[in-house]
Amino acid sequence: MGSQTGDGRSPTVDFDVFAHGSMASSDVAWRELRGRCPVSWTPRNGGHWTVAGYDEVATAFREWETFSSERADPERCAISIAHSPLPLLLPEESDPPRWHGYRRILAELLSPGAVERMRPRVEHWVDDRIDQFIEDGHAELAHDLSVPVPSLVTMEWLGWPREEWLPAASTYHEMAKHIPGSDGYRAAGERFAWLATRAAEEVADRRAHPRDDAISRIAAHEVDGELLSLEDATSIVMLTIGGGVDTTTALTSAALVHLGRNRGDRERLIADPALIDPATEEFLRFYPPARTHARTVARDAEFAGCTLHAGDRVLLSEISANRDQRSFPEPEVFVIDRFPNRHVSFGIGIHRCPGSHLARLEFKTMITRVLERLPDYELDEGGIAEYPNWSMIGGWATIPVTFTPGRRR
Amino acid sequence: MRVSIDRDRCTGHALCRAAAPNVYVLDDLGYNVTPAHDVAPELADEAVRGALSCPESAITVED
Repeated sequence: MGSQTGDGRSPTVDFDVFAHGSMASSDVAWRELRGRCPVSWTPRNGGHWTVAGYDEVATAFREWETFSSERADPERCAISIAHSPLPLLLPEESDPPRWHGYRRILAELLSPGAVERMRPRVEHWVDDRIDQFIEDGHAELAHDLSVPVPSLVTMEWLGWPREEWLPAASTYHEMAKHIPGSDGYRAAGERFAWLATRAAEEVADRRAHPRDDAISRIAAHEVDGELLSLEDATSIVMLTIGGGVDTTTALTSAALVHLGRNRGDRERLIADPALIDPATEEFLRFYPPARTHARTVARDAEFAGCTLHAGDRVLLSEISANRDQRSFPEPEVFVIDRFPNRHVSFGIGIHRCPGSHLARLEFKTMITRVLERLPDYELDEGGIAEYPNWSMIGGWATIPVTFTPGRRR
Repeated sequence: MRVSIDRDRCTGHALCRAAAPNVYVLDDLGYNVTPAHDVAPELADEAVRGALSCPESAITVED
């Protein structure tokens, strides 16, 4: 197939996004690629363009008419370069005009005002989880905090049956922990089938018996006077779990590790809690949970000096854009009060993460409470494990810590 | 100083409002609906800070 050999596409580089098993290795690979060319073609992974420069990534995110999010192959996730078994994700895998109807319900459910009304539940779950280990003097902060809190908040908000909150949400965590093609990844893929079935059941149940929860709102959502199909409503529910769970987990884990290793930053945050606002943006810039997203070229186009053909796959790199020295002074340095900080970690353009307001609230609450309640935590470096693959989602599998025991609230 | 918003470019990040609550007005979904207007001198720094916070570069500030 022409597209796999390059077929005259240039510049061509040998870049395998799946070849990097640690954050450091992935960061270096992106830095080297970005230094060579902001846009290039690689024959790896079926052949695809790679967009590494900030301006080019932001432009491609904005220009959905050229860089489509629609699924061209029904069996292949449009927004991942992996040959992924993910069920269809709406509204992310759609373009206007149909995108508008799907997006509307999430924009309503996750607006800044709606998220502010969720604050008491977010605070409740953060303190509830910390209460489970605060008297022990030791914890594993991924398992005990950054994984469960976003899961509990998201699943409660959805109205999912309580006994399934953690097993359902951890499906995505399992997905992120394994390399595509591995046994672990295949097993996680099988759990998706269960989760998608359960989501469809919940949506059908809420359409018949509405309650005061997000699944009911999605199940009752109308576009141009017509109810969403049960299938599309289920897809939106699945997107909220995938988007709401492991991404916020990854960001929080990154910050907990960073603050464990960088005492100066920790002390500044403790001394000046208002610093959490710019710090959150810098954690997002430096440790983007979603490191890449894929698009498909919808029409032939010239882009950054390259000739794109309809049907070409394109990998947009948030991590690389966020480290582009043309847009960020000293991009490889973490600057806790960096401003301005126009990172692309929530995406740019129409597919901007609809959960960004909730993600920021959860993240800030978790970090602030940890610094209040276990301010002297020490990382057990020997027990810290990163995800084995940093192609799409970067995060930590385990973060063991010790600290001076405190009281339950 | 005059601020104007490119409504087509705004996608509801709501960071302008966080940085400049006295300058920018959002709708219920978090989109900037501030009419183009001249900013009072005492709010000029805040207006600029809000514009610099916008990931979409949707806010134009003119002297």
